[in-house]
Amino acid sequence: MTNYRSSLKRPHPLINVSNWHQNTRKIANAIVIFCSVMLCLLSLPTRLPGMELLGLGPNWLLIWVVAWSVKRSAFSGAIAGLTLGLIQDGMTAPYPTHAISLACVGILTAFMKKQRYVEEDFISVALIVFGMALVAETLLALQFMTMGDRNLAEIWTDNQRIALTSAIISSLWAPVVYYPLNRWWEKINLLDQS
Amino acid sequence: MYTLRRWWDRNWLQFSLLGLVIGTAWIAKQTQSAAIFEVYQLVTRPFQSNPPKQEVMADAKTLELQTRLEEVQSQNKKLRELLGYVSANQTKGIVAPVVGRSADHWWQQVTLGRGSKAGIKEGYIVTATGGLVGRVISVTPHTSRVLLISDASSRVGITISRSRYMGVMRGMSSDKATIQFFERVPDVRKGDAIATSSVSELFPSGLPLGRVESLNLSQSPAPEAVIVLSAPTSYLEWVVVYPGNL
Repeated sequence: MTNYRSSLKRPHPLINVSNWHQNTRKIANAIVIFCSVMLCLLSLPTRLPGMELLGLGPNWLLIWVVAWSVKRSAFSGAIAGLTLGLIQDGMTAPYPTHAISLACVGILTAFMKKQRYVEEDFISVALIVFGMALVAETLLALQFMTMGDRNLAEIWTDNQRIALTSAIISSLWAPVVYYPLNRWWEKINLLDQS
Repeated sequence: MYTLRRWWDRNWLQFSLLGLVIGTAWIAKQTQSAAIFEVYQLVTRPFQSNPPKQEVMADAKTLELQTRLEEVQSQNKKLRELLGYVSANQTKGIVAPVVGRSADHWWQQVTLGRGSKAGIKEGYIVTATGGLVGRVISVTPHTSRVLLISDASSRVGITISRSRYMGVMRGMSSDKATIQFFERVPDVRKGDAIATSSVSELFPSGLPLGRVESLNLSQSPAPEAVIVLSAPTSYLEWVVVYPGNL
């Protein structure tokens, strides 16, 4: 917080957000949201060296949904999860749907109200992402079980492997998405209130 | 009515934005996120084309040749027994780079950097060094998405190249796959070459798949075998796409 206030007093000469009109800020916020979502979507099919563990990359959409819902209501968390889940369905396969698991992640994250328990920092967000990745992959596994075209025992062993790998790699990369977005939204919120 | 009106005046912007966002997501889902894959191809184009992993490729190539030879020998023997052999005319394949992997963790898919503009259609067969790799499940103008045979939802009809016994192969999300045989006591041994079956509707017959690694003939309800896929599904870099009815 102290860091942030000092940056308010000495804004960057080129990009001084506090001088912008309120509507300009809203549009800028929309552009930031759109671009960050787009970046997450485009990173999904890539497997860059160092971002890969057992052939799996970070679940960027899950990280984005957590970053979004941490300081928002359960409803907006659910909407974000639903939206990104539908898009991810389009990019993979419609059943089982990712919308359910990501919406649950949004709701749970919003309910956690993490400020009450832990300091606001990377570690706690990484922990939340770790837990949420486990929840999301397990929800997908449950949906696979109801579909019935895969072997139950195989789904279960796959789930253990996928959930753990995804949780580890996603929580490691969570700050990359969380830090800039969180900083931006804090700034916007503070300016809107003043 | 008045309160409703007032509520609408206050909230119409949020409401319509909400509708817009969910509508966009729905369209993205319905169009198989075609726009995203097109942008992905556009953005990643400068970074494509890496040198293939030579050793893996060479290894896979020998395996493929062995498997193919065995298949051809066995088929040839069968064909010689028959009269009136009709030669299938080979069509030229479309070479495509692999530009992306699956967009989530449960599916074994790859994204190719060529699409309908290059002549690829849904249902086309994808092969690589090592043999059959998968099937095209959706196409955009410049990309196409392939469901790999290593995916747990993939089913491929197979034959043992040596004995012509048939079964069905199921992916195991790795470089291995399981086979369930139709017969109670199939003639199969460790190391046998496996190829696609002639009764398969999705895949042309005789494409090499892999080799039997272990057997479990007492498995219920059907005897099972684990095979190692000859194509390196996790290192794919270039593939060749053929029409389904090869």
